[in-house]
Amino acid sequence: MTRRAVIGAAVAGGAGVAAFRLLGLAKPAGNPVSQSLNGATDWISPLATERAQVQQLLRRATFGAGPADLEKALSDGYAKTVQRLVETPAAKPPPFPGGDQAAKGSPLKLVQLQKWWVDQMLNGPTPFAERMTLFWHGHFTSDYRKVGLQSPYVYWQNLTWRDNAVGDLRSFLYQVTTDPGMLRYLDLGTSTGRSPNENYSRELMELFTMGAGTFGEDDVRAAAKALAGWREPQPAETVRTGVFDPRRAYTGGPVTFLGKTARFDTKGVLDQVLAQKATAPFVVRRVLVNFVMPNPSDATVNRLAAGFVKSKWSIRQLMHDVFSSDEFKSASSYRSLVKQPIEFMVSALRALGAESLGQLTQQHGSGMGQTLFDPPDVGGWPLNEAWISSNTVMARVNFVTALMQAVKDLPVSTDAHVQQLDGVLSPATAQLLSAASSDQERWTLVLASPEFQLK
Amino acid sequence: MTEEHGINQLKRRDFLKAGLVFGAGAAGLAAGYAAVPDAFARAVYAAKQEGITNDKVLVMVQLAGGNDGLRTVVPLQDPKLHDYRPRLAGPSVAQALPLTADYGLNQNLKGVKKLFDAGRVAIVQGVGYPNPVFSHFESIRIWETGDPTRRSINGWLGQLAAKQYDTLGHPLTGCACGATDVPGALRDLQATMTVIQDPKNFGFTGGDPVEEAVTALYKDTPGIYGALFDTAIATAKDTIATLKTAGAKYQPMAAYSDQAKLVYSSKNQLASALQLAAELIVAGTGVKLLHVTLGGFDTHYTELNRHDDLMGYLDQAVSAFFQDLDAHGMANNVLLATWSEFGRRPKENASGGTDHGAASPLLLIGSPVQGGLYGSAPKLGDLDATGNLKYSVDFRSVYQEILTSHLGADAQQVLGATFDRVPFIKVPAGVS
Repeated sequence: MTRRAVIGAAVAGGAGVAAFRLLGLAKPAGNPVSQSLNGATDWISPLATERAQVQQLLRRATFGAGPADLEKALSDGYAKTVQRLVETPAAKPPPFPGGDQAAKGSPLKLVQLQKWWVDQMLNGPTPFAERMTLFWHGHFTSDYRKVGLQSPYVYWQNLTWRDNAVGDLRSFLYQVTTDPGMLRYLDLGTSTGRSPNENYSRELMELFTMGAGTFGEDDVRAAAKALAGWREPQPAETVRTGVFDPRRAYTGGPVTFLGKTARFDTKGVLDQVLAQKATAPFVVRRVLVNFVMPNPSDATVNRLAAGFVKSKWSIRQLMHDVFSSDEFKSASSYRSLVKQPIEFMVSALRALGAESLGQLTQQHGSGMGQTLFDPPDVGGWPLNEAWISSNTVMARVNFVTALMQAVKDLPVSTDAHVQQLDGVLSPATAQLLSAASSDQERWTLVLASPEFQLK
Repeated sequence: MTEEHGINQLKRRDFLKAGLVFGAGAAGLAAGYAAVPDAFARAVYAAKQEGITNDKVLVMVQLAGGNDGLRTVVPLQDPKLHDYRPRLAGPSVAQALPLTADYGLNQNLKGVKKLFDAGRVAIVQGVGYPNPVFSHFESIRIWETGDPTRRSINGWLGQLAAKQYDTLGHPLTGCACGATDVPGALRDLQATMTVIQDPKNFGFTGGDPVEEAVTALYKDTPGIYGALFDTAIATAKDTIATLKTAGAKYQPMAAYSDQAKLVYSSKNQLASALQLAAELIVAGTGVKLLHVTLGGFDTHYTELNRHDDLMGYLDQAVSAFFQDLDAHGMANNVLLATWSEFGRRPKENASGGTDHGAASPLLLIGSPVQGGLYGSAPKLGDLDATGNLKYSVDFRSVYQEILTSHLGADAQQVLGATFDRVPFIKVPAGVS
């Protein structure tokens, strides 16, 4: 009990000003500040203010904000910022050198490819679409180990996911199903109608669209038959998708899939999946636990799911609704999510204006449990508390140590706790910050703090 | 020890930390053990005191992805295997290392076979649970929590640690080696567990000043993750201190190698993880519950070589582990057990692999086991409605034997029920 009997932070007011004076920190006008509040065990949400809403939005819908991003978003206001973020289609990243030519003997260079992607997160002009690309990489997962690097597939998949990141789910699912990397990762590319491989069929329903317990083993088998026939493209075919070969397809007549008996083709299977009641709530819940809160209510899920279906599965519309929802701005949403390691690292670099140091993310991600293009399993990246262990928290601190050594010119730190931590600090963080005597010490504390691990 | 809170808790923690470090070959600290004859009564006795204070160690090896039981313990005489698996069956039957007339080990489990011949391997065949689930994640959760109804959240070893060990007084009771997160089997918010990906790099690169500053920074963090955060840092600190001492006390006496034949998708360095496990055991850190993982068992495609390679990798790491423990004279109290979320489909698929299945065998290795075959192998001629092998031994029976007969724990408190005994742990001399 005693170690949980902790102290929250109060919102702005007379006490706040006094606290700042006490801490010896500059007081930015109208911002929430830290204050001891005996007995409180939770953060005091500042989300009643538009400023804090905007800050939270940038933490979750992008990879964090430097002072200039924050200033622009604050002057635009919350609604306009949401609009701008979700309406901007993904910018095309510069081609990855050698990516299209990857083959046996000239494989994709994984480390460079990871750096290329991190550079999009750090510097890309469409940070929301970039954040969604990472989300889909964790949802429609593949890994480089099984897909291999002796083809462009891992790179192409990243481009395809980015192209579809804020599009519509129906087209996206077709792209996912026929993506060469996915054909290999979940074995649809070697499945045949005569002897179907169930891997993709099962995960399509369990992990990508409907969720466990919403379908039967017969449905897995039926969809495995109906989906069979795809193979990887040959280099001479110059396409970036799989190729359907009717000779490999199932020829046994109609199958019964999720209650409907028909001769399903791939589109038919996906339509039938999208016709299921479970699908929209499942996908929406995945979005909410990544962007809003760890335990969204069924009512919230169902309301947003209804809008998602009505919008003809527009991901852009869904995300607009999510960011505009009361739930997103509710006190229970505040600091209820743990940044993924890559979000933590990229947002730290952006906070310092150190966007040129993307390579630092590469040696540190693994100790925090995240290596791009290499999720732990077909379930994708874990969430929230799964990112917290003795090993990972230490690795996060070590990243900050390395970052401080690498950065040449640190920005002034006076407002760091306000810009990066909303001014809502635990007593420990507040006390240490007030005792810190240099920009380096302050930035170390801000970036290594538990507050900065949360979003 | 009646004080539970405040400053007295610290005293308790310090006392136990000092008291529970086992020296090499120590017989265990709990006086009065031998006087309590029955293993189960002994467990209850221990649990009712200050938690379990013997020096038994359990190492769980997760074969993640669903290990193909029919290629691990191969049925040698069943012609149906060849009907179901025209590509996969022939080579594995021809090369298997015979255990009996009817069953053989995968040809790459050569070291395990040696241990079997020495009476140190128990194989429980046909292990599963009612109404098998074919989702990796659902079935992993079932095995991790010991609850086929999927209501439990806490891991079976997490619960054990929370209820029957003093993890607060001794944060290295449970350790995931070679990982970055706490595996589900060890998870319980009431238990402190550590995670060590790589002991050589475990530490704050900024040294003591950073360690001190961060300890202060994470103290009493508010919010739903607050306790997790400050426990993580406190545990990291304790782990750093322990590793410092352990590293000085331990020299590996076996060749561990992760340079096994390329096993892609395996993700984890099993040999390094088991070497770390050996280090923690040999150095007398008081570690009790260890967990390591080897991935790559989801062999939906070209299974033939990939699965054999995985078996070879497993064999090499496990053999080195026991060779190391034997050389240090520390093998007597260590039980290693494999587990996997499910076996694989008897019938192979078009990709030269196998889809998700049900029952499969478990390997239990170490001096505490009574070697031999247990349970009954599933019958290829009697598959369930999904074309999968039926189980004959509930996995919780295996857990129960591990808990009760090996760890000296109260199994019912962890599993919520009592299961048929599978007597693969040796009964101590003089105990019937």
